[in-house]
Amino acid sequence: MPYKISVILDRARLERIKGTPLERLVKDLYGGYLKVIELEVPDDIAQRILKEFPRARIDARGFIEETPVAFKRELFEVIAQLRSVSKEIFGELLKPERLSRVKELAAKEEEYLPPPTLPEEK
Amino acid sequence: MSLKINTPPPHGGKLVDAVIRDKDKAISMAVGAIPYDLKATRDPVSGLPIRNVYREIMSIAYGFFSPLDRFMTRNEVESVLKERRLLDGWLFPFPIIFDISEDDLKKLSVKEGDRLLLRLKGQPFAILNVEEIWNFDPKDLADRTFGTPERNPEVVKRKFDEKHPGWLIYRSMTGIALAGKVYVINEPVFKDPYNRFWYPPARSREEMQRRGWRTVIAHQTRNVPHTGHEHLMKNAAYLGDIEPCHGILVNAIIGAKRLGDFIDEAILEGHEALNKYGYISPKRHIVTFTLWDMRYGNPLESLLHGIIRQNMGCTHHMFGRDHAAVGDYYDPYATQILWEKGIPSFGLNAPPYDLDKGLKIRPVNIKEFWYCPKCGEITYSDTCAHTDIAQRFSGSFIRGLIAEGIEPPPIIFRPEVYRVIVKWWRVYGYPFVNKKYLELKERELEADVPPMDVPMKR
Repeated sequence: MPYKISVILDRARLERIKGTPLERLVKDLYGGYLKVIELEVPDDIAQRILKEFPRARIDARGFIEETPVAFKRELFEVIAQLRSVSKEIFGELLKPERLSRVKELAAKEEEYLPPPTLPEEK
Repeated sequence: MSLKINTPPPHGGKLVDAVIRDKDKAISMAVGAIPYDLKATRDPVSGLPIRNVYREIMSIAYGFFSPLDRFMTRNEVESVLKERRLLDGWLFPFPIIFDISEDDLKKLSVKEGDRLLLRLKGQPFAILNVEEIWNFDPKDLADRTFGTPERNPEVVKRKFDEKHPGWLIYRSMTGIALAGKVYVINEPVFKDPYNRFWYPPARSREEMQRRGWRTVIAHQTRNVPHTGHEHLMKNAAYLGDIEPCHGILVNAIIGAKRLGDFIDEAILEGHEALNKYGYISPKRHIVTFTLWDMRYGNPLESLLHGIIRQNMGCTHHMFGRDHAAVGDYYDPYATQILWEKGIPSFGLNAPPYDLDKGLKIRPVNIKEFWYCPKCGEITYSDTCAHTDIAQRFSGSFIRGLIAEGIEPPPIIFRPEVYRVIVKWWRVYGYPFVNKKYLELKERELEADVPPMDVPMKR
């Protein structure tokens, strides 16, 4: 069974894909409060992601979740660059040099994540 | 027969109270006992603390685990593993073991009949009357505790391994157990914010009486609540007797948790925010906790939850999908299978409420709530027929959102609850359990122990 992975689109990410074919793939979640792009992940790639990032897991919806933030950021970068959500995305994303960079950032991320600034504090 | 339901008796008939509040008596029990400093159980690979037995001592002594009043003997553990019953016949799901290393056993020269003075944070804390010293194989114990696909095919889907935090706790034990009755002789003082959520069973029952709650439904949590949890609580609470349940008792499991789970302080205050900001009236909602290094044992954990919450005075217990679960070791509805028809391979031939010396608490088995874009609201999965477009809640998805620094929308997460997460994120530099948090938690624990002088000899 193919799994899925989603990338959340905040304002900045929506801006990045404006006018590209990716715009048509944006999906509303929870009444439109959230925008996401969903990708299908073949089983072998899903297993590879779970192996590379031990805390990642398949949730009750069949989505790969709890990957490092750095991984999700890189995933969006590759999608935005290739303007695609096909299988080739993962080929690019899991290239050794890219992957080791993501893993390096992920290791730091396990120690510290900067807390967000709340809207009322801006 | 009246249709009205009343507060159930404690499991086993009487609440255990093994807390010695008379200081002179406490000191006289401690004099001459062999001192031993409690140590964390650590993951042999990562070295991380995954359990501190002080939490089990507290849960025994304050009556959460009634009628269990001791660390188990070999025979009692065998009985639990065979049919999930204590030696006196009352249902109980997990071996509760005080383990000690071979080195410590030699250093202490402890033998059966001795008393051990258990120290916590360097202070006298509890007395263990050593009735039996016995050996076990930790891996075998871990496998038999949680089950295997071969022996327990009704609910176990995959062989347990080191990735399962509960299995790892048993697997990481030393293999030498000290069994016997345990008493807290020097009450720990809970730190903020734990202090305001501490309702051991006797106090919880008093509080329910004070509030005039006859029917109370328990909500198990190890999570900061999203609106799916909130809907579960609100809707499950409709099932009372002649009216909805008077109260909703949230009972959080506090202790060492899996990396990536929410941190304990945020769990408690996150649930509190629901009543503080009126999403569930504080007149009907109370947040409490139990100290326990969670075993993530799905149906078995739900049995322990039933015992704890019946002891706290609850009449009902809600059980959802993937109750107290991690990964796909168990069937997602294993807990509901237990409470609907029992799990014979675990010795439970009928649901816990239909077994002799079973439970009196009533299960409320609930499937799940999801967001339906067609209905435009959060709906119950057995009510809404738009299954093809329904958007399910996912705690993992929400944790991912939070980690990316994106505030979850109010339809899935209350803004005040998110602010609680951010508050504790700023304290610990991380919104979830990580290695640093686990080490800090082991060092600091949830409570301090007041100084107590114990003379060397009577």
